Amino acid sequence: MLDPAVLMEYMPAFWDGFIVTAKVSILSIIGSFVIGLLIALLRISENKICRIVALCYVDIFRNIPFLVLIFFAYYGLPEIGIYIDAFWTGCFTLSVAVAAYVAETIRAGIQNIDKGIIEAAKSFGFSRVHIYTKIILPLALTSSIRPLGSVFINLILTTSILSAITLGELTSASKIIASTTFRPFEVYMFLVIFYCVLTFALSALIAGWHKYLNRYNGA
Amino acid sequence: MYGDEGFTIFDLQLWAEGLGISFGIFLASSVFGLLLGSIIGLIRYYKVIGIGSLLMLGSEFLKNSPVLVQLFLVYFGVPALLTIDLSPMEAAIITLTGNTAAFIAVIVISSIDAIDKKQLEAARSFALSEWQILRLIIYPQSLAFAMPMFVSLAINQLQVTSLISVIGVVDLTRVGDIINQRTFEPFIVWPIIGVTYFILAKLVERIGTRLEQRFSVHQIRSEI
Repeated sequence: MLDPAVLMEYMPAFWDGFIVTAKVSILSIIGSFVIGLLIALLRISENKICRIVALCYVDIFRNIPFLVLIFFAYYGLPEIGIYIDAFWTGCFTLSVAVAAYVAETIRAGIQNIDKGIIEAAKSFGFSRVHIYTKIILPLALTSSIRPLGSVFINLILTTSILSAITLGELTSASKIIASTTFRPFEVYMFLVIFYCVLTFALSALIAGWHKYLNRYNGA
Repeated sequence: MYGDEGFTIFDLQLWAEGLGISFGIFLASSVFGLLLGSIIGLIRYYKVIGIGSLLMLGSEFLKNSPVLVQLFLVYFGVPALLTIDLSPMEAAIITLTGNTAAFIAVIVISSIDAIDKKQLEAARSFALSEWQILRLIIYPQSLAFAMPMFVSLAINQLQVTSLISVIGVVDLTRVGDIINQRTFEPFIVWPIIGVTYFILAKLVERIGTRLEQRFSVHQIRSEI
């Protein structure tokens, strides 16, 4: 029968897994944001080749399952002489894959900016770099905090797939706990609830932040 | 030497079988998920006492946790709790159906909400039955509204099917893993598997866009 109390003594192992999940998530969020921003800028650039490259990038990484990508990186990288462990392989692949979604979100944010604002900046003699750093990016990023937040929450859920390449994160830790306690239902139910609480809390925080930053935009 | 046997013609057969399993499970879970999700959405819409919000709570849980953990819960957890046997394939179809249904339910509810309430009032004042309203007014319009969301969900769910390889279903990803373990040729195996998924996704997208256009034609006609 259901016996959740049995999980209590395994909390330290679970916590260790959570720390790994948190580390991978934070590093990959930073990585995917940087790459995604770059791809978004390529996507709206005036150079046709840049646009095509960015479009292909987004199309490829949004249409191939993450599990296939991670296996490719995990078995493929050592073949070309890059020896990194499961942790860094995970961070690298997550950053590259999620960047495609980040790029699309930021692009949508940029394209929603009122063209008049950019024309006004041009007529005031702002340089191209200044228009991007002082006007386009701040506006696009503040208005896309909520959609970006859901991309990153999805990233956190995706870290569970890294258990397939033997990274000792939350799902991996739970798998070990489940096989030692012979209580798979309780363990995985707890894990589902844990992920849910985590994502609910994060999306509430992001929604609040979004509202605060967009308080003058009527959004 | 082990692991250096090269590719054989049977790898092609294995690939085709994996493709069949992946696509079959995708189709099955999409169809069942569409049915179940629509029922949940309608239960919620007609405010069936108690069940509606309970089902929505359940679908929130399914939407906000990793599908991989849901698979483990169904494949390892449920049989242990209820002492029943569940094959990997059954567990995969059950989990993916539930997961798809959770997303479908939310889409169904938002597309019904998108219909102008005045139309429903007008229909009621013409004494149409609730069934007629559902069939003639809500269904065609909400379907046209929901179609783009269904298509992007389908493309997403196609990729999610790759996770069932982890519980031992021999799908396309699992086939890739098996061949990769034997040949140690990750730069040949994984790109082929990746391209197969990519083409499948594009196919689903193409069919989806075709359907989308058909239903929006319907919408324009009914507006005239």
